[in-house]
Order: sequence, then C-alpha cells, then structure tokens
Amino acid sequence: MKKLNRRNFMKLAAGGGSALAAGLGFSQGALAGSIKLQEGGRDFSPTTKKELQAIPTACWQCVTRDAMMGYVEDGRLVKLEGHPDSIRTLGKLCAKGQAGVNHVYFPDRILYPMLRVGKRGEHKWKRVSWDEALDLMASKLKPLLDAGTPELFMYQYGRHKGSQSSIMHDFMDAFGSHTIGTHTSVCEGPKWVGQESLWGGMYDNWDYDHTDFVVNFGSNQFETHTNHIPTSQRLISAMVDRNVPLYTFDVRLSNTAAKSTEWIPINVGMDGLVMLSMVNVIMNEKLFRKDHLKYMRVSPDYHASDDEKIAAIKEHVAKFTPEFAEKESGVPADKIKQIARGYAKAKSACLIGYRGTVMHFHGADQERAAMLLSAITNNLDRKGGRVMGVGAGWKAPHSPKAKLQKGLDIVNGFPGEAAFPTHQVSQQNLPMIKDGQNGRPKVYWSSCNNQAFINGNNKEAEAVLKDESLIPFYVNSNIVYDETSQYADLILPDVTYLERWDTEDMVSPTGVAEFYIRQPLIKPLGESRDQGEIFAGLAKRLGIELAYTTKEEYVRQSCEMTPGVREAGGFEYMKKHGVWHDKNAKPNFGFYEAKVDVSGDGVILDEKTGVYWNYKKAGVSEAEASSKGYLGVEGAKDAYVAQNIEGTPRKAYPPNTSFLKSGLLDFYSDNFAAKGFPPFPTYTPIPEHQKMGKDDLHLTTYKVAVHTHSRTAHCKWLSEIKHDNPAWINSKTAADRGIKEGDRIKVASDLGEITTTAHVTEGIIPGIIAISHHFGRQHSGIYGSGKSSPTPGGATADPDAKNMWWDKHGTHPNSIIPNSSDPISGGQRWMDTVVRVAKA
Amino acid sequence: MGINWKELADNAKSRSDIYGLMSTVFREEPSGGLIKEMRSSRLSEIFTDLGVELGERFYTNPESKVVEELAIEYTRLFIGPGPHISAHESIFCEMDGDTGGLWGVKTVEVKKFIETTGLDYGKEFTGLPDHISVELEFMQKLAEWETDMWLQQDRKRAEHCLTVQRKFLEQHLFCWVNQFCDAVMNEAEIPFYRAMAELSKQYMEFERQSIAIDTAA
Amino acid sequence: MSDQKQPEISRRKFLGGVGTVAVGAAALATPTVNLEAAQSKAPRWAMVMDLRRCIGCRACTVACKSENRVSLGRFRAVIQEKTMGTFPNTKKVFLPLMCNHCEGNKEDGVPPCVKACPEFPGERAKFKTADGKTIRYRVGATYKRPDGMILIDKEKCIGCGKCIDACPYGVRSFDPFVKAGGDTTKQAADKCDMCAHRVDNGVEPSCVNTCQGRARIFGDLNDPNSHVSELVKEHNLATPDNVLLAEEGTNPHVFYIDPNNILKTLYTQRKKGKLDHFVDQIV
Repeated sequence: MKKLNRRNFMKLAAGGGSALAAGLGFSQGALAGSIKLQEGGRDFSPTTKKELQAIPTACWQCVTRDAMMGYVEDGRLVKLEGHPDSIRTLGKLCAKGQAGVNHVYFPDRILYPMLRVGKRGEHKWKRVSWDEALDLMASKLKPLLDAGTPELFMYQYGRHKGSQSSIMHDFMDAFGSHTIGTHTSVCEGPKWVGQESLWGGMYDNWDYDHTDFVVNFGSNQFETHTNHIPTSQRLISAMVDRNVPLYTFDVRLSNTAAKSTEWIPINVGMDGLVMLSMVNVIMNEKLFRKDHLKYMRVSPDYHASDDEKIAAIKEHVAKFTPEFAEKESGVPADKIKQIARGYAKAKSACLIGYRGTVMHFHGADQERAAMLLSAITNNLDRKGGRVMGVGAGWKAPHSPKAKLQKGLDIVNGFPGEAAFPTHQVSQQNLPMIKDGQNGRPKVYWSSCNNQAFINGNNKEAEAVLKDESLIPFYVNSNIVYDETSQYADLILPDVTYLERWDTEDMVSPTGVAEFYIRQPLIKPLGESRDQGEIFAGLAKRLGIELAYTTKEEYVRQSCEMTPGVREAGGFEYMKKHGVWHDKNAKPNFGFYEAKVDVSGDGVILDEKTGVYWNYKKAGVSEAEASSKGYLGVEGAKDAYVAQNIEGTPRKAYPPNTSFLKSGLLDFYSDNFAAKGFPPFPTYTPIPEHQKMGKDDLHLTTYKVAVHTHSRTAHCKWLSEIKHDNPAWINSKTAADRGIKEGDRIKVASDLGEITTTAHVTEGIIPGIIAISHHFGRQHSGIYGSGKSSPTPGGATADPDAKNMWWDKHGTHPNSIIPNSSDPISGGQRWMDTVVRVAKA
Repeated sequence: MGINWKELADNAKSRSDIYGLMSTVFREEPSGGLIKEMRSSRLSEIFTDLGVELGERFYTNPESKVVEELAIEYTRLFIGPGPHISAHESIFCEMDGDTGGLWGVKTVEVKKFIETTGLDYGKEFTGLPDHISVELEFMQKLAEWETDMWLQQDRKRAEHCLTVQRKFLEQHLFCWVNQFCDAVMNEAEIPFYRAMAELSKQYMEFERQSIAIDTAA
Repeated sequence: MSDQKQPEISRRKFLGGVGTVAVGAAALATPTVNLEAAQSKAPRWAMVMDLRRCIGCRACTVACKSENRVSLGRFRAVIQEKTMGTFPNTKKVFLPLMCNHCEGNKEDGVPPCVKACPEFPGERAKFKTADGKTIRYRVGATYKRPDGMILIDKEKCIGCGKCIDACPYGVRSFDPFVKAGGDTTKQAADKCDMCAHRVDNGVEPSCVNTCQGRARIFGDLNDPNSHVSELVKEHNLATPDNVLLAEEGTNPHVFYIDPNNILKTLYTQRKKGKLDHFVDQIV
C-alpha cells in the first residue's frame, strides 16, 4: 500500500464520507446523544479508588451453590466472597468459588450467537443475531408441534438447579416434551437410588456440629463434595475443637484421608462389605441401639418384633465377619472391629460416603449398607448423625401445560439396563440416539452439559454429536467452546452465573432450610443471554403462553409466592439481603417421629403394611381399597398419610419417589426382590473384578479441590494450580513394571488406550491407578487446553496469558472407561474398569 | 493571515468520515449495502489509487457471496469460537495493576472518557465499551463536533475539541491500534480485512503526525 | 517466651549502638512478641496459622490472586504439600506460606528486605493510631509501618530486585503489570501486604475471610485480648519452633500452631536466587 499523504487522504475521506452519507454504515451507532463539552470537561482521568459495590448472590461453580457476595467496581466484577449471613456457608467460599471471576472475563468467552457454516467439527462459524438464532430454532421446533411430535425436541442439561431447572421444566411442559436428559447418573445416581428405596427421599448430610465420631467411605469431603463448604468446614472444626475422630476408608490418600485421624486403605469396591462387617460386629457384640428398629423393615414381615428384627439382621450379616471382610478388602479385621466399636459406642456418629462407595456395580446397594449402619446405631435423622438435608421449598409460577405431553424413552438406558433409573441413565443418552430403537430427537439442545467429555467412552459421544443423520439439529448453550459445542449447528452465548437471576435451594446441614437467590452482579457481557429469556423468546415465536417474560420476573414471582420469604419482604428483601431463613425454625432432626392426624375423610389403615392412606385421594372406592390394599392400588403411595408405629400414627418415611413402599425404612425391599436383586443389603462381587489377571490393575478417577469436572479449565487461577493429571500408582506396582516417577505410561482397557505420565506415590494402594478426570481438554480456551492462539492479538492477548507458564494439560481417562451401568440404579460404574499398565 | 474556517471544517469533516468508515468496517459483518458502496467506482478507484488491495473476488463475486464470506471471516477473526482477535483495548493494553481480560481497567477508562463528553452508549449496543469500532466512532463524533465549531467560527471550542481528540488518541487509540492492525494483517485469510487493517494503520500513523501539526498551528 | 515481658523498643535502643556484638544465635533467633503494648498504641498485626485446621483446599491461594489481581506465574500466598512415609503408613501434610511481616532483628528492628532497599530509609511519614497519637517512621520503597506491616511503595520502587533476593523466605517477586515508579524501565516488586487496603478499613485480609478451616487467624498482638494474642499465649507460639527460619533472626510475625512438627518436616526453603518453592501446585 502506498504511503498516505494529505492529498490522497482527502480523497479517501470523500469516499468514506460518501459511504456513510449513503446510510450504508452500521444500522445503529454504539454511541448515543450529543457531545456537550464543557470548560471543565478536561480532566478525564478516571478515578478507580472507591468503595466497591457489594451485591449478594449465589455461586454456581459446583452444586453446593454457596450464598456469596460479589464486589463490583465501575461495572466490573472484581471479587467474590462468602455471604456472611448465610447459615449454610458461614461466610466461606472455596477456591473454585473464588475463581468465579475468571468465567466472566476470559478472552475466549463466547459472546454472540454463532451459526455453523462449515461441516460439523470444522470450526467455521458465522455470527448471527438473536432474532435469526431464535427464528431458526423456532423453524425447527414448530413443525414438531404441528406434527404432534413434541417429544422429538430433546433438552439435555447438566448443572441446572433451583429456578434454572424449574423454569426449564416449565418451558418443556408448555411445549409438551418429556424428552429431558440429565447427568446425575454419571455423578452420584446410585447413592440417591439406594436412599430413596429406604428413606423415600434423598440427600444425606451430616450434623457435624453435634457429632462425636465420623466414619468416611470414599468421600473426599475436604476437597470436593456436593455440599462442600457447608459440611467440610464443620467437620474440620469438630475435629479440632472437640477432638472428633475421623476414619477414612479410601483407595487413595485424598486430602480428606490425609487430614483424617487415620487413613484406612481399602480395596476397590469393598466399602459395602466392610460396612456390613461393621454391622456384624455391632450386632454380635450387642452394641446396636433399638431406638430405630421400629422404623425399620428387615424381613418380609411388616410387623416383626424388635427381637425378631435383631435376629434377622444378625442372620443377614452373619457371613460378613471381619475376617471375611479382611480377606476381600485388605482392611485388617481388628481395625474393622475397633472402628465398629468406636462408631457404635459414640454418643452420636456420622457415616459418610460418596462416589468411592456408590459408582460401582450394585453401588445403590452399598449405599443401603451405609444407611443400615446408621439406623442400627440410632444415628439416622438424629442430632449428630446422618440426616436428610433440608432445602428451600420455593414456589414458582407455572405456565399452562401443552395438551399433548410425550417423551422419547431414551433417557433411562437401554431396555433392561437399569431396574430403578430414578435419576436416569444419562451416559447412555447419546448411545441410545445412535442405536435408534426408541427413536431419535430431531432437535437436540444441551446446556451446561459437556457430553463429549463427561461420559464414559466419550469418543463415541463425540461421534454421535458429529453425525447429522443421528442428530439433525443440535443447539448448544455455552460460555466456552468445548468438546461438545464444537459439533453444534447453533451455539447460543450463555450468561455466566454471575450475570443472571435464580432462586436457590441447596440443602443445609443444620436442619434448617436456607432460601437464597442469585442476582446479576454485572450486565451480561456481549449478547450473552439467560436460558429463561431464550425460552421466552422461543415461546413467543411458537405461540406458547408462559407465565413470565424474563428470568428476573420469574424470580420476583417466586419470592412473592413463597411463604416466609413473602412475609420477610419478598423480592426486594431478597435482592438486598440475598439469604433468608426462618429464625424460629427448629432443626428437622427426628422428623419421622411426628404424630399424624389420621381422622381425615378417606384415611384408612392398611393392615398388611401398617400404612395409613387416603383411598379417596388415590381415587378408588373403599371396597377396592380394602380388597386390593395399599400396595395393590396404583397411586396409593401418593396418598400416604402415616405409618402405624406401635399403635401411633407417625410421619415415618413417606414414599416421595417412584419406590412403592410403606413408611418404614425398607432394608428388606420388595422392590429389589421383585427385580431379582438382593432384598437386604449384601455384598455382591463386581463381575469384572472376578476375572482379573495377575497383571491387571483397577482404574479409578477422582476430583481435586480446585476444579469441577468439566467447567473450570478456562479459569486461569485454578488451572495454574492444577493443570496436569499424572496417574497415581503405588511404588510397588510401579516397580513391578519398571515404572519410575514421571515416566510415560500406557494405560489400556478393553475399550482403548491412553498414554499419560506416572506419579509414583505411597499415597495409593497397590494394584490400582487413579487419574483425576478434569484434564486432557480438546478446547476450553487457552488456559484449559493450552491451544496457543496463533493470533498475536487474539485470545492470548489477555496480557496475563503471556505469564502462563505451564505447558502440560493432562490426559482424559474417559475414553478408556466404558459406559456401563449399575443394574440397580443405572449409575455409571466409574470405578470398576480394569486396565493394563506398562511403560510407554 | 485570516483563518480559513472552511478549510479547517473540511479537514475535520474528512477526518470524521474516515474514522466513520473504519468504525463501520470493524463494528460488525459488512452489510450488502456497504459492499455495494465499496465496490462502486467512486471508492474502488480511490482504493486502487491508494494501493488498497481488496482482492479480485471482492469485486467479481456476487454481492451475497461476498457478504457471506466476509461474515464468516469477520466471525473467525473477531468473534471466535477458538483463537480470535478480541478487538478490545483492555485485551491489548497492559495497565498497571490490572491482569487484563475483558472489561478491564482500560474498558472502564474508555467508558468514563466517552461518558464525560456527554455521550452515552446506545441501548441497542451490546458490545463492550472499548471495542475498536467504538473508539473509532468516538473519534468520528469528536471530529464531527469539531467541524461544527469551525463552521460556527468558534476557535476556542474547536481547539478544545482537538485537545480532547488528542488526549483520547494518546491515552487510548494510539496505545493499541497498531498492534491490533498488525494482528488483523497477520491473521486475515482473505484480503478485505488485511487491506482495511493496513489502511487503518497507515491512517492512524498519519493522524499521529498531523494532529500534532494541527495543534502546533 | 510468651510471658517474657520485655520492653522491646527500649531494648532495641539499648542494643542499637552495639553493632556486631556477639549474641548467642538462639537468643537472636527467638521471636520477640510484645504482648503488653507498653510503648505504643499502634497495633502489631500478626497471623497465626493453625496447621491442624488447614485442609489444603487452596481457597486462600485463589482468594489472594483475586483480591490483589496477582498475575499468573507468581503468588503472594501458597500452600506447600508433601506426601511422606511408606504405604500404608503414609501421611500428607499442608503448609500455608506468606510474607512473614518480620519485625527484624533485635539490634535495629529492620527486616532484611527493608534493609536491602536502596530507597530506605527515606522520608519521614506519620502513622496515626486509633487513639489519635502520631507515630513517625521512615519509609522506603520497602518499609515497615509502625503496625508491623511490611509494605511496598511501588511509586518509589526502582525495580532493583534487592529485596527479592534478600528475603530468606522468597515471598517477593516482580509484578509484570506494575512498573517501578522510580525507574519505569523496570517492574515493581510485589508481595503480600496483609491486605492493608482491607485492614485499614477494618476488614480482615482476603485469605482469612475465605479460610473454611479457620486455619488463618489474623489480629493485633498488641491487644492482649485479641484472638491471636490468646493463641500465642495458649500454644506458646513465640518460640523458634513455631515460626519459619527462626535462625535467620528475622523475627517473623506469622506463627504456626504445629503439634505435628510440620514446619520441620515439610517446609521447602527457597533455593538461592530462585522462587520456584513459592508456586502453588497440586500433584
């Protein structure tokens, strides 16, 4: 190009001016109004030193969803902290929560709707307007309504909770599709299924504030937990302030195991067996407490006496002696006895567990053993024990439901795969779409769910997403380009959780519910838009009536509708304070003992089960009710009133899920028996582990304190601390294979092989390798994938990217872990994979 | 020697128009109308004269095809997903005490600077306050206002306006526009944005010299 | 040591002129804590780290990054962790580190970083105490405020890096985003300032605010009723065993409750001229 001079510059100006004069520039200028320069308008230096604006809101890095405070300076979010008035978090926030700021401003963030223009996976995109994006979606959705096939619209979500979840369900009901996929089965599904079969509900928390003894099976409480900050800080305080012992059974020396009174290494998949052997010790040494027996059913007989129940439990666990458990689990019999005695004798005690216990073959049954251990020592729903967490019961506006309501049967696994998929079988969603036997969605929309990364056999998931013949139209809502969004036809720029409204409801370990909200700390960046607003935009185009037009309005209505919050001042109060709880509420410990009035119209006692139920509410005649009985009438469980406990009608444990049961804790479960599963908690060897060769190893995965599974890799402050995931291997196991610290190793399963790095450590049992599952990202921005932008002024132009010093980004283990479900619950069996390991 | 008000006004208007053109080019994907105008003989001759190479296909392909191609190129260059040039001052400029990223300290400075002049960001504008096109549009508006002042023969206000422009250029645009243009020139796959970036870079260099002269005058 | 009542300032005066008098290393190494507030009403800020309570969660590390907008590649606060022992008797321990806000040795009360600063002692500054009294002190680019905080004035800093080399704990680094005001071709030194901007407004440091284990306890040693004073007394923390590198004679004011002797078994010192011991990493 020639050098500009005054002459040709004037010529260019004439041309430039003409282009603008013709009105062909941008439709709308960025700046409005007119310049009013004043004599004093000469000092332009902005002053940034002033008190920050504090706004209460809620975290969303993980499902714990701590209430927190956001600090804003000049419209820019600069800091997050715990909410000092929260009864759950007590003002604390974890490392991930602190790094939430990174979500908003990382330079790779998706800020505009993007339409795919190349082939799927070719990474060619065109920005489109929201109108174009919504028109396009509506043009794909409308024909489904017209054809009476609303179920061909599938919504797949991962981390949706509180109003983010309820508003989506409301929209889907208004549309008429029940084809909604989740992610719980890859997370902790078996735990909930095990609990629901007993409790009739779920979500155990622990009253550490009052406990005297804690036994932990495979939960990494101090690093990661679904109610992390509320529980873990109370546990460490109990340990230091009141000398409460914590015994941790784990295959790996997690930070939790490290801070425990004692780490007890245990073989993979043996948690349930050791628990049962603890039951054995407690029963045989008469250390049990009878208090809870009247709420337990341990044999087919609903009316067994305490002595009969004691005999039955003893008989069930007779073969699980500590010596037998030692042989299988590697835990010394004496250690089992010592801990069983300490646990049973403690005034109150908590039995905790998580993925290490349940993400196995028959994982749901292992959770039942944990509940048994709690019940026989009277530590269930008692002060200081394992308690059903209590969350906020928000009311929400409801839109009119579509007349036609249909769903594709593709979210609960393949036929016969799982007996009780009450939390779905999400790892099989894409494989079932591939299979096609139960149909395929025509429109597939996923949000906050990176299917091509988080599931087992994730390469298969990727292939399905890529195949337009299997998924004709795929929409992905996201803030970052990831393994899944790369195959979308349309990417919608999601808001971060720091830019949106929600009501929130995560459980409180104190037994008193906390109501709290999330509110935007800043204006959404770019054209990012909340799902709620997108639903409203689609509804308008589809002629669907919704009860709200914005998420803010939805949240406002919720606040004005919800008893307690409404009286406290509703929406305005919540905006100002962020959190609310009933100051007069008592902890719900012992809720099951509540006496219930059974004099209501239609309430009868079912002699067989001891259940009081309302046959009128169940919609049957008195004659039919008495001839068929509580268990024989469909829908009777929804008409449950009380359980006859030694002559007194009490609340007991109502069947609040799909499990048909009495108000007793079903340790003997007809539901399980009917499907061919052991009706009483037992030890079932894991099939793959029975066939292991001498050189085979177990593979397990885990989380660390500073990352969520798949949503934090682009948070630079977190990836700086942890970005690589070498495979932990015991020094003996390593030596047998000639593997030294830092060696490249091959890890092969029947599904495939990965190459990674060895971390030789004394902090893991021999015969296993453990790989954290956050890393090995294909995308996720510069900090997550290390894909150095070739563009000097591009994503790497974040000035801080120059200071990025790490070049390792880890290896993802999921490509060698098959999608394989617990046949009881449908939970993904993350911990059952068998591998061969050798030097690369 | 008397002041040639008309010449000063024309000069300011020309500068305003060039800023307007550059702002338009970097604001968003070009419209069909803009393409048509830029392919018109009036502009194409000037571009040829200046040695601004927009490429053969820019002139020969059907308009709709050019629009589509440029939309994809614009998205790839400036929007993402994936590696792209984030066209914001806070991304390009280091600032003491700020570790960078979107909506940085620079963003706040630019926003305040612009708002101090009495301008507001339009309700419909969804970009960030320190986008390259905003800074260019701000210069366009300042120069336009300067034009009016010359026409009203209000030397004091016109010179004040020039001072404001110079401050904004020195504190903001000059700090990063070269780097930005270099990045675009390096990364552009089709000639359009490469040429526009080169033109912009040259023009800004010209501004750097001429605005100093203007002030000295 | 905690019940030793020594008028610190007068003793310093007394020793001031002695110069290189041979005092026993142990005596020099013993941290001096004045719990009586005999001389001034200025607070003496200090941190107690209760290692029993640290669960290695890194909330402090990240909170510090966020609060102080610390660039990548360096830290103001870190956790060191180490796995020790042989399976199955394996242990893993955590040790939080930060600037020790040293009092300095007993002769001159000037910590090594301040001593190394070419800009120290510079002009006089005034420190206003809560009861309205004024304490005069000398500032530098690195200096000790009368309330015990070791601070950096980046406007005065010339980016020479001498303080970075002088700190035996290696907690200082160059801030790539802040130019040294005294020499704008160089970058300014940076380190933990106990969140002076919060503390001066009556708010705890960010790392303390976020610590779920409540392992970090911050407060005024000159207030005998403060939590830190109580802990120092209760756990007898003013001993060489409860601070880092007592033998350096720096008189650190970060005290560790350390029943398991983690300081001795885990602490990884800086290697000369290097700072890689001060990078927070999880294996």
